[in-house]
Amino acid sequence: MKPFKLIQPTNENEALQARSSDGSEYMAAGTDLLNRIKEHVASPETVVDLKKISGLDQIESDDRGIWLGAIVRMSEVSGHPEIQRRFPAVATTVGHAATPQIRNMATVAGNICQKPRCWYLRHEGYPCIKNGGTGCWAKDGENEFHAIFDNQICSATQPSNLAPVLVAHDAIIEIQGQDGVKEITAGDFFTGPSENPQMEVKLSAGEFVRRILLPAETETSLWAYEEAREKQSFDWAQASVTILLDRGGRKGDHRVILGAVSPAPLRREDMEKKLNGSEDEATQAALIAGEGATPLSQNGYKVPMLQGLIRRAVRVVRSREEG
Amino acid sequence: MQDHPEDTPAKEGVSRRSFLQGAGVAAAAAGISRLPAEALAKEQAETDLQVLGPEAGQITLKVNGGSKSASAPPSTTLLDFLRNDLGVTGPKRVCDRGSCGACTVLLDGKVVDSCSMLAIDAVGREITTVEGIGTPDNLSHLQKAFIEKDALQCGFCTPGMVVTCTAMLKENPNPSRDEIRQGLSGNLCRCGTYQNIIEAVEHASRTGGK
Repeated sequence: MKPFKLIQPTNENEALQARSSDGSEYMAAGTDLLNRIKEHVASPETVVDLKKISGLDQIESDDRGIWLGAIVRMSEVSGHPEIQRRFPAVATTVGHAATPQIRNMATVAGNICQKPRCWYLRHEGYPCIKNGGTGCWAKDGENEFHAIFDNQICSATQPSNLAPVLVAHDAIIEIQGQDGVKEITAGDFFTGPSENPQMEVKLSAGEFVRRILLPAETETSLWAYEEAREKQSFDWAQASVTILLDRGGRKGDHRVILGAVSPAPLRREDMEKKLNGSEDEATQAALIAGEGATPLSQNGYKVPMLQGLIRRAVRVVRSREEG
Repeated sequence: MQDHPEDTPAKEGVSRRSFLQGAGVAAAAAGISRLPAEALAKEQAETDLQVLGPEAGQITLKVNGGSKSASAPPSTTLLDFLRNDLGVTGPKRVCDRGSCGACTVLLDGKVVDSCSMLAIDAVGREITTVEGIGTPDNLSHLQKAFIEKDALQCGFCTPGMVVTCTAMLKENPNPSRDEIRQGLSGNLCRCGTYQNIIEAVEHASRTGGK
């Protein structure tokens, strides 16, 4: 692995200061960054480790909800009794990601900031629009696991398992920058390639995720998360469906978020409207799953896959309603 | 650049210096002008950000109950540090990408892929490798179960499997078959001995011991 300098700031200002040098990158656990350095697709001169910043390893509740510090480990989220009780969709989804080893290491902020798993993006021989070149190799190449929506500029999918459920809950991402702390919703945080093809999240140079808020007003016990993957052990989703019903106890406040089929988690308001309790709501929602899709040469299977997942997810969420 | 340190000869000839401290202050200072004025005062009071590396420096870790030190660059993974610098070769370097689990060690009792974290991040934590679980003369209960149930073929994944299963049984002394499978989802066995490994864990669980 290419050697680098390491700075371990103990507060936010030191981190911003350290990151202001050219060729620096932030690191949390390093489970993604170290791999990218080994693959020669990242080559930071200086790595700024965020793990020593005090307070970022805490899970705290207040009247706004539950705050996850940036470097809280994924296994701490999945095993946290209050999150399991108030945000079961989050706890369960995080518990399905990666492997026991990775969940003990990887952080929540690192998870939502990891780079896509596109095999071209992670190969030094294929410069593309995301890393200094032009175009998208996958679009006319090997694209079995790539996006079927919004895939014309870059067809890599958002790899974070946590991303869709954060969007479904309207989680707040607290971002630390030179001018202080700001908050944006998860729906705005995850971005498609049209805005800035090099970034999958809305972070400007030097900014880092400080905390994530799971908002009390979107708590619900009516949830479903269904995903398909090639193998049941360590793998990323080929497609996933997250459904929340009656968020915060408000009748009809639903969310349907599709994962692993587009560059950012995809909210489907058209499907949310179909979830009206009618007998054929699952069929009606599934029927429109492929609307707007532009499958590539090898990933057309994701449309019927989504339809199956939607039917399953609706069945699961309604069964929870019946208790 | 060394991509595979294990393939290179012993490092005796490599110059090993202490961590270069303070080398990044000049570079970091360039960014201060971008900070708001009120932050500036604070920054000036604490500009001495310690910069480690890229050269080697002393790293001391708690491994299998003892303290071990060696000199290595801060970019060294825990796995490479254990194997190449401390001579603790139980954890195996297979995928080096956090996918196969052959490098699994316990960090404060929890399984981690030692290939996917920095050695320096393990400072102050209790590291347990397969060497800390049993010895040839004093095998753990689980290791005996591995032998009993023929839970290895080529054996290369075995150190990681033993570490993972040891932690699994400690957290959950009576795992179901599904829980065992889930617990093993971060460990690959290219020989495909999973069935026997699952049986070994069940056997160890049934017959008690630690």
